[in-house]
Amino acid sequence: MTEKRFYQVGRKPWEWRLKPAGDAERARGRVPGTRRHWLKWRDVHNDKSLKRERVMVDKKPLWWTIGLVLLLFITPFLPNSMISVVSIFCIYAAINILWTLIIGTAGIFSLATLAVVGVSAYIAAAANVYLGVPWPFMLIIGPMAGLIFGAILAAPSTRLDGLYYALLTMGVAEICRVFVVQLRALTASGGAITNVDSFIPEDWFLQRPGLLLGFVGAFLLMLGALLVWRLVNSERLGMLLRVAKTSREDEAFAEAVGIDFRRARLMVFIISSAALGVVGAFYAMYYRSISPQIFSLDQLLLLFAMMVIGGLGRAEGAVVGAAIVTIIDKGLIELGPPRIILVALIMIGVTVFAREGLMGARNQFRDFRNRKAGERRARRTEKGGEAMPEEATEVHDKQELYYRRFNKRLRDKLKDMITPELIAEHQRDPLGHHSDALARVLNFFRRGEMADKYVIHRMKPAEEKFRIMAVSGARGMPPRVVDDREYSDIKEAYHAVFLLRVNDLLES
Amino acid sequence: MDLGLIVYALNLASIYALMAIGISILWSSVGVINMAHGATFAVSGYAAWLVTGALKPVIAASLGKTALASAAMAGALVGSALITGALCGVVIYLLAFLPIHDKPNYPVRALIITLGLNIAAVQGLLWTFGPRSQGLPKIFGFGRWEVWGTKIRYDQAGTIIGAILIMTLTLGWLRYSRRGLEVRAMMQNAEGAAYSGISRQATALPVLMLTGALAGMAAALLSQTIFVSPTAGVIPLIKGLTIALLGGLGSVPGALIGAVLVGFLEAGVGAVPFLGQRYVQFATFLFIITVLIIRPRGIGGLLDDTRE
Amino acid sequence: MPELLEISQLSAGYGPLRVLHEIDLIIGEGERIGLVGLNGHGKTTLIRALTHMAGWQQGSIKLDGAEIGGTRSQGAGRRTPGLVKRGIGVAPQGDAIFPGLSVRRHLECGAHTKAAWRERRQRIDRIFDIFPPLRPLEHALVGKLSGGERRMVSIGRMLMAEARLYLIDEPSLGLAPKISHRVMEALWDLPVTGAMIIAEQNVTLLTGRADRMIGMHAGRLRGDVGHVDLA
Repeated sequence: MTEKRFYQVGRKPWEWRLKPAGDAERARGRVPGTRRHWLKWRDVHNDKSLKRERVMVDKKPLWWTIGLVLLLFITPFLPNSMISVVSIFCIYAAINILWTLIIGTAGIFSLATLAVVGVSAYIAAAANVYLGVPWPFMLIIGPMAGLIFGAILAAPSTRLDGLYYALLTMGVAEICRVFVVQLRALTASGGAITNVDSFIPEDWFLQRPGLLLGFVGAFLLMLGALLVWRLVNSERLGMLLRVAKTSREDEAFAEAVGIDFRRARLMVFIISSAALGVVGAFYAMYYRSISPQIFSLDQLLLLFAMMVIGGLGRAEGAVVGAAIVTIIDKGLIELGPPRIILVALIMIGVTVFAREGLMGARNQFRDFRNRKAGERRARRTEKGGEAMPEEATEVHDKQELYYRRFNKRLRDKLKDMITPELIAEHQRDPLGHHSDALARVLNFFRRGEMADKYVIHRMKPAEEKFRIMAVSGARGMPPRVVDDREYSDIKEAYHAVFLLRVNDLLES
Repeated sequence: MDLGLIVYALNLASIYALMAIGISILWSSVGVINMAHGATFAVSGYAAWLVTGALKPVIAASLGKTALASAAMAGALVGSALITGALCGVVIYLLAFLPIHDKPNYPVRALIITLGLNIAAVQGLLWTFGPRSQGLPKIFGFGRWEVWGTKIRYDQAGTIIGAILIMTLTLGWLRYSRRGLEVRAMMQNAEGAAYSGISRQATALPVLMLTGALAGMAAALLSQTIFVSPTAGVIPLIKGLTIALLGGLGSVPGALIGAVLVGFLEAGVGAVPFLGQRYVQFATFLFIITVLIIRPRGIGGLLDDTRE
Repeated sequence: MPELLEISQLSAGYGPLRVLHEIDLIIGEGERIGLVGLNGHGKTTLIRALTHMAGWQQGSIKLDGAEIGGTRSQGAGRRTPGLVKRGIGVAPQGDAIFPGLSVRRHLECGAHTKAAWRERRQRIDRIFDIFPPLRPLEHALVGKLSGGERRMVSIGRMLMAEARLYLIDEPSLGLAPKISHRVMEALWDLPVTGAMIIAEQNVTLLTGRADRMIGMHAGRLRGDVGHVDLA
């Protein structure tokens, strides 16, 4: 016996599920101090086994934890050069996460991210070197500078949109570079401030313990950036902004329901700028110096490439993109210029094929598969399908799709059977022995839905006067009269109902 | 302001206008912010250098040192730059337009792809030719004209005349030819264009080739004044982009006015003794930012008086 | 009467929304059809689906016997220019005009066939005869015209090249009654070689003039669709 084959309808990805006992009480821990749960579980009911099951709806936290823990424990065993690559990766990832917050969450296309980092790094370093402020205070001066600079930058963003603002911020970065290079006090060092004090003791600098300390610092920096991302993007500000995200209409809608999205955007921008100020101060300390290189367009484009490869607007995209590009750019340094070409080619390839970078590829593939499945389903019967290309995925009860498909084919078949002879046969003998075709058609009519089903109404008891009505299908609602013709013969009425139903069938 | 300064300003303005018009036309008709415009510029410059280098002995052998020889040289230089620019346009069409033009997020993705192309091309040039800059043959010669007591170098005059010529040709083509009409229709309403039988795929290719050729022309003309190097495209790209934005992205007259304004501004700032060349960039950016903050749609917004 | 357009089982919609539900319709040569229905019942979507402008669609559309339909779940508008060249003239809802072109250049845009382009002057003259108010505006920018004049330009653009099937979506939308009557009169006076479908909410503009009136309700056709008469 051959095994029966079932065609899958709609999306049914394989999923790992917990199977709790049927009567077990549901227990969920909460993050201390908040009302949030640790992981997002959902209780579902399995239609086939009729058992209770538990699905992890959002598996991202799991992957984050695994990735970060692996990074933390593997790095100490790497050679010196790799440790510094990992540290640089962490710093870039932190910058990218905060930049993603500006571009993705706030939707402000700013290219001044590195300018904010640079300005706060310069101010913090200058405070340390020229005013003798000890290094822990740099971590306070940095964000203060970032906050003020960010507030200045954010002001025109409400007036200019998209590309115009991008240009403006690019101009600001250029102005910063020119300004720093031409500062008279720094001309001796080509615009750089050197000998910045650091959390890494001087005699450890570029030694293994110093590198490890630097890595720990950079790792904490990245965690801090992720925390900022989480607090801004997933809490109130991010939720407000998600309303006004995609289009002008959404913005109008947000305004109509009383969301001041412009203010929220400015807030996000300023918060991220302050956080970028911390990164700037850390950057100056990590390298013990800061140079105008940070304002250059190449550096900016490299960071932009990271975000694009990972996927604009996603934290995991920013981190994964930073990992890929840092490994190519810093890890394969002996390759020379071709490594930048490689980065550019990856960037082009990812953008041509993926809608939202590498991290969005999975969803994109799913959409693609669903679409193709829908098209196949729509083509399965030659004349019009049982479900529309995009509609089928929205129908929850897949049984419904199969019923539609069956019903459709049945109707197509029955339409072919209706001939003048068949109608004549029914007129001759509405009740009596029917031919096979007529019996099939009548069977189909008998199974019709109650709503709008035609019935015969005997107008007066014991009198041969009939009328055709259609029942409402709803309890307590009277049937409606279809037409005012009266029939004196029950057979004639039977046939009239038959004709009405045939007409409906042919019209469907 | 003396005449020499005006000529210098016009010289700058004509190069900027060539770049800015290309970017502006491309944005409004195809919907791409072409970040690879700078790469097109640099690649065309290098192609012109290679071709003229290869043809120099041939032309010298066959024509000697006659006027015809220098004309042939000029033709080879300009022709090779134009053709390479157009070919770069084809590459951009194949990579940044054709695969994604009806997919979600198209404008941003096209921008990213052209940006990637720009990086790849610049690095590729660096890798093959090294960072040294190369001088192209001077097609206009080295002489000067004396006009009302000021000396005008041939290359400046040639650049201005060449740029005006090529821009007139382009704008005339856009205005009077059938293809140009289709391009303009597509710039203004894509749906209406589709209902008039104008296909986006078929129209985008000539537009990209045209704007590429404009960048090639700019490279050929600018190479008369400065040298060609792998990063030579960056400044024209940024200038072209900012001027296109100043003109209100998509407005050709806006871009022209913007180019003239910025040309004069740069020449003027460069001539002021206590500011000097160092603050030229600074002043330009400051000017454009101020204009954009006051008029967010740029100069084009002032010119446009039609209703949607 | 030979069949010009044969639609069978046409469904179309946008994303998860299904607007047209398996429509069957046959239109003969020389017919002028009035498509009536309320807002949101699928008139515009039907017209858009005929030119592959709807979000997705499936079902067969035959123009002069050649299949131009099919199943498609994305890529709206990709086939539209090709279909226009095959002989579907469209005056879309909202006109889709080119605001920066003069009336003359605008009309020239519509002359997409070789023959039409060659004799564009005569044809523009003919359009000016149909819509006399446009003649003095020949060199005015379309973006500065009034709503009625824009509608005339949009319809004029459609008439520049001869099409087999003219689709006109809401010719009276947003116009003063007097002007909309004028536009409709001009439409009825056109010599139609192929067929014409006019989608319209205002039934009084169509009654008595259209060869056939088809109602649209909730994405299905109602009225004189031409089903088998058995009674």
